[in-house]
Amino acid sequence: MTRSVGFETNVRPGEIVLEHASRSFVVHADRGRTLKEMLIGRARAGGPPPVEALKDISLQIEPGETVGMVGRNGAGKSSALRVLAGILPLHSGRVAVGGQIVTQLELGAGFGRDFSGRENIYLNGALHGLSKEQIESRMEAIIEFSELGDFVDAPVATYSTGMFLRLGFAIAAHLDADVLLIDEVLAVGDEAFQRKCEARMAQQIAAGATLVLVSHDAALIERTCERIAVLDGGEKVFDGPVHEGMPFYHRLMGTEDPVPSP
Amino acid sequence: MTARRRRGGRADSGIIARVAHRYLFEQMVRRELRQKYKGSALGIVWYVVNPLVLMGAYYLMFGVIFKATSEPDYPLFLLVGLVVWVFFSQAVLGAAPSLLEQGALVRKARFPRETIPGAVVTVQLITFLVLLGLLAPVTLAIRGTLDPALLMLPVILACLFAFVLGFALVVSVLHAYFRDVAPILAAALLPWFFLSPIFFDPGRITQQKAAVFALEWVNPVAPFIVAVRDVLYGGAVPDAPVLAYVLLAAVLSLFGGLALFRRMQAELAVVV
Repeated sequence: MTRSVGFETNVRPGEIVLEHASRSFVVHADRGRTLKEMLIGRARAGGPPPVEALKDISLQIEPGETVGMVGRNGAGKSSALRVLAGILPLHSGRVAVGGQIVTQLELGAGFGRDFSGRENIYLNGALHGLSKEQIESRMEAIIEFSELGDFVDAPVATYSTGMFLRLGFAIAAHLDADVLLIDEVLAVGDEAFQRKCEARMAQQIAAGATLVLVSHDAALIERTCERIAVLDGGEKVFDGPVHEGMPFYHRLMGTEDPVPSP
Repeated sequence: MTARRRRGGRADSGIIARVAHRYLFEQMVRRELRQKYKGSALGIVWYVVNPLVLMGAYYLMFGVIFKATSEPDYPLFLLVGLVVWVFFSQAVLGAAPSLLEQGALVRKARFPRETIPGAVVTVQLITFLVLLGLLAPVTLAIRGTLDPALLMLPVILACLFAFVLGFALVVSVLHAYFRDVAPILAAALLPWFFLSPIFFDPGRITQQKAAVFALEWVNPVAPFIVAVRDVLYGGAVPDAPVLAYVLLAAVLSLFGGLALFRRMQAELAVVV
């Protein structure tokens, strides 16, 4: 087993430090190994080589900065976000994130289907390390933001996709984030609710939260971010102000093959 | 945004994270308790009904049909041992696939992963204490064993919990990496049950010293069964070697289990 690097939290709240961060994945047809494979030997002959999702990436983000992360599918954006969220360990390098991290990765993750919306608010708050009292003090605000009304006491199994996402975002929006990690893929919902989410995000940034936003939506990035990091093939190919980075990103997307050669 | 908590050090291994996630643990236990039998008519009562039925079946087999030994008040002898075994086996069987069952959480959120198998074991502990609460007064009354030795029971139960928790941590994290662990465990538990001193006392079924020794000491669950039975059924403080074994097994299992779990947990989000 490869030794992995521990996740550090000993930096200022809102600060993000990545130093020479690298991470690869061994591709299995099937997840998990059986005992037989372990006994016979770890490496399967003829298997594909490990995929290097992140290659020696360094990124220093100060508290309150807003950073858009862009790149092709498979460029390493989601892996980077999962590393910053402390879910995916690095194989080498260093990762440190300070303060309360709120991600949208777990939108809906804690949602036991048989449990009511309210019970899921408790569970999700608890996942972020909140106490019962802290959750209860936000309960009304979360329910109001989610626009669920009386449905909050119905099992989430009965919810529509939109209701489910609204509840998830409502919880994430009320967790006093020092660091917001947002993956656009999950930012669905109708236009009115999307505007509300964007407004809430702006509010959190105004209050000093650091934002890392992964998106293919250039307009959204230009609206919300001052800085942009472009990833390609697991490497950071641009890092700087958004007005300089956007042309670079468009050139990158327009001039190369959609599938990068290794 | 005023009340910002500054968490120092490595959150996943620090005591701070453990305290901060105390409420998470409570939530996980509730979730575990309610999820399994949600929607069924009896609900969480199944947690007690199931082991009761199991114990009834074993009683029928070993207490009535094959009367193995001539212990006095044999049903109580059998049930006291059985309740310990049911706790151990249900807890480790439930814990083994628990990290995979909660894969959505493990893949998406950062929190101390020990809470998942920990919640499974705690739910089984609650069941165990309920069963023991039903069985103990009857045993004490019929056997007349209300003795100061009973004060040892909380210590023995605490050791049993630590032992089972450590074992559960090991099987849960191993199963996340190697999917054969749970089936192997399920297969092993049946012969393990028959070799445990639940429906017999090793000293009474064979004269061979080596066999008695093996039955009493090689199986780490045996001393726990003996200790609980000594106190409840026998009304006596367990022998010093039994107590020492129980204490040592608890410490080794818990700390060994935690150490292995922490070593292997980093990649959990990738493998589950």
